[in-house]
Amino acid sequence: MSRASILNAVKKNKPDLLPLPEIDLDVFSENIDLVKTFIGNVEFVGGRAIQLGSVENIDSEIKNLYPNATKIVSCTRDSNLGTISISKNTNPHGLETIDLAIVKGELAVAENGAVWISENDLTIRVLPFITNDLILIVNKEDIHLHMHSAYKAISKRDRTFGLFLSGPSKTADIEQCLVIGAQGAISLTVLIV
Amino acid sequence: MAHADEAALFNKDESKVDWHDKALWFVRQKRDKSAHKVKGWETLRDLASAIKANVMSNLDNYLVQFEENAQKNGVTVHWAADAEEHNKIVHSILQQTNVKKVVKSKSMLTEECHLNPYLEANGIEVVDTDLGERIVQLAKEVPSHIVLPAIHKTKEEVDVLFQKHLGTKPSNGDPQYLTNEARKHLRDKFLKADAAITGVNFAVADTGGIVVCTNEGNADMGAHLAKVHIACMGMEKLIPQEKHLGIFLRLLARSATGQPITTYSSHFNKPAPGTEMHIVIVDNGRTEQLNREDFRASLHCIRCGACMNTCPIYRRSGGHSYKATIPGPIGSILSPGKDLTKHSDLPFASTLCGSCSDVCPVKINIHEQLYKWRQVIVKDVPQPVVKKTVLKIAGRVLANSKMYGFAGKSARFILKHAPRFVTYSKFNAWGEARDLPEVKDDNFDTWYKKRQKHE
Ligand code: SF4
Repeated sequence: MSRASILNAVKKNKPDLLPLPEIDLDVFSENIDLVKTFIGNVEFVGGRAIQLGSVENIDSEIKNLYPNATKIVSCTRDSNLGTISISKNTNPHGLETIDLAIVKGELAVAENGAVWISENDLTIRVLPFITNDLILIVNKEDIHLHMHSAYKAISKRDRTFGLFLSGPSKTADIEQCLVIGAQGAISLTVLIV
Repeated sequence: MAHADEAALFNKDESKVDWHDKALWFVRQKRDKSAHKVKGWETLRDLASAIKANVMSNLDNYLVQFEENAQKNGVTVHWAADAEEHNKIVHSILQQTNVKKVVKSKSMLTEECHLNPYLEANGIEVVDTDLGERIVQLAKEVPSHIVLPAIHKTKEEVDVLFQKHLGTKPSNGDPQYLTNEARKHLRDKFLKADAAITGVNFAVADTGGIVVCTNEGNADMGAHLAKVHIACMGMEKLIPQEKHLGIFLRLLARSATGQPITTYSSHFNKPAPGTEMHIVIVDNGRTEQLNREDFRASLHCIRCGACMNTCPIYRRSGGHSYKATIPGPIGSILSPGKDLTKHSDLPFASTLCGSCSDVCPVKINIHEQLYKWRQVIVKDVPQPVVKKTVLKIAGRVLANSKMYGFAGKSARFILKHAPRFVTYSKFNAWGEARDLPEVKDDNFDTWYKKRQKHE
């Protein structure tokens, strides 16, 4: 193994130590409507964001949006629409035929329409990718202005797997034509409660 | 073939070149719009640049810290001095875990190491799962752009390719239909794969985690379905702390495509129960580049592609003309470090206008490094090679008015003034347009012609 020789070469070739810069977050602060900005950005990235009056409205909204979904996985107590229950032991390949997954996001980011979800919220890592359609639920108090604030909020988490998810999967690899629905979920709806 | 000859080939299909030029300029404009919306954008660039400079000055310690933390998380870390060792390591992991089918997401490093042919020669099926990469894989080509691998292909070409390989119906190149068919085809591959190989966008020293960014979701589909995940990274991908991701993720997608962030920014820290995760850290010439004071900053690159989208030469010569894994301005300062003689023409494939440096999210002084490579090449590369190179550039690029509108600058002038040529005094006209704002709706030719009239 080349570990020692690589590290020695780096030690020999690197320049004198340069300091890490201080980060002054004031530069990035803005007084904007977080919910409105977030909704605008979710739409910009090809998703849909809907602000609901209360948690009670979640299920009727989902039924309304996805009337034909039958194989539904719900990973949150906020929705009772789940028809298939999963556990840590579920074979991820078995989720291939799921129509709709409903997941509670831990926080959201106004500047880019992203929602942070982690393994704890998903049960099975592949769920938000393999499902045909995806619903994420976030509390409006959990919308952060920017990524710096979001990283601060998740800094104490148990690190296994997690992601910022912004919009449905997409590609523009054929002549730069945007097509929604590449390899991951083909639609994303964020419900803000 | 030299860059200029390759560019001439690309320029044979004029309408395609015009499309390529405009499509990339459009991406560049999306980048501008997106960047201008961010309060403190320039501060982000300054911070990113300073963080990367710190990383390079302390890289050995960060690498060790990263390794320790990753190991604590149950990840196996491997070290490869060069492409060959990298390929052997990946193959041996696949052998030990009895893998026959691999799905791979975008990774310029594995392109650089020529991993696919190596694995295929060893009887392993490798499927590239990024749509653009799948297209070039089926066409038996290499990516022509690091973010838009199939930007050189028309939709009609993709249509024919998919008819042949995926059995699709003729569709006149309907992108929606073709993408859908690719989705079905790739689903099947994801479900059958035994292992997934991904690249790494950022590796975080203080957590031992890696971040992989995609729009399609292909890296995650692969990594979460297969039993084995191998992530391959160049050693320069390190960043010190997780909070620094806030800076880099704000810059990356906006610079690349104008999106505020990629669809998926996945943070892998621990393998899922019952699965294996491996990280291969690769040198392959990077420690040498670290030693070159003038060129060290090229290692700061986060592979956003913005320097390609903005480059007038890249846009009108196509990525394949560079004959290097990383094309465009950044490739032209990385490649000579790997093989000076082979790539000695690349630093000349530039107008030194500086637009690349202006858009680079980590503020690499790309055009200055191009200029410095020219000096090294004129000094160090045997004269016949230089003469040939400069002649080629002069003959093919500069004197070909149709290609670049440099009519009137004779090859003799260039040869006679070869050392002075590299001082780009004659080409300062390019330097004036720093951010190229006035070019917006013009292509390169008409813009240059207009400028000539003003001279
Ligand atoms: S050199 Fe800068 S602009 Fe070019 S790909 Fe790298 S990070 Fe992007």
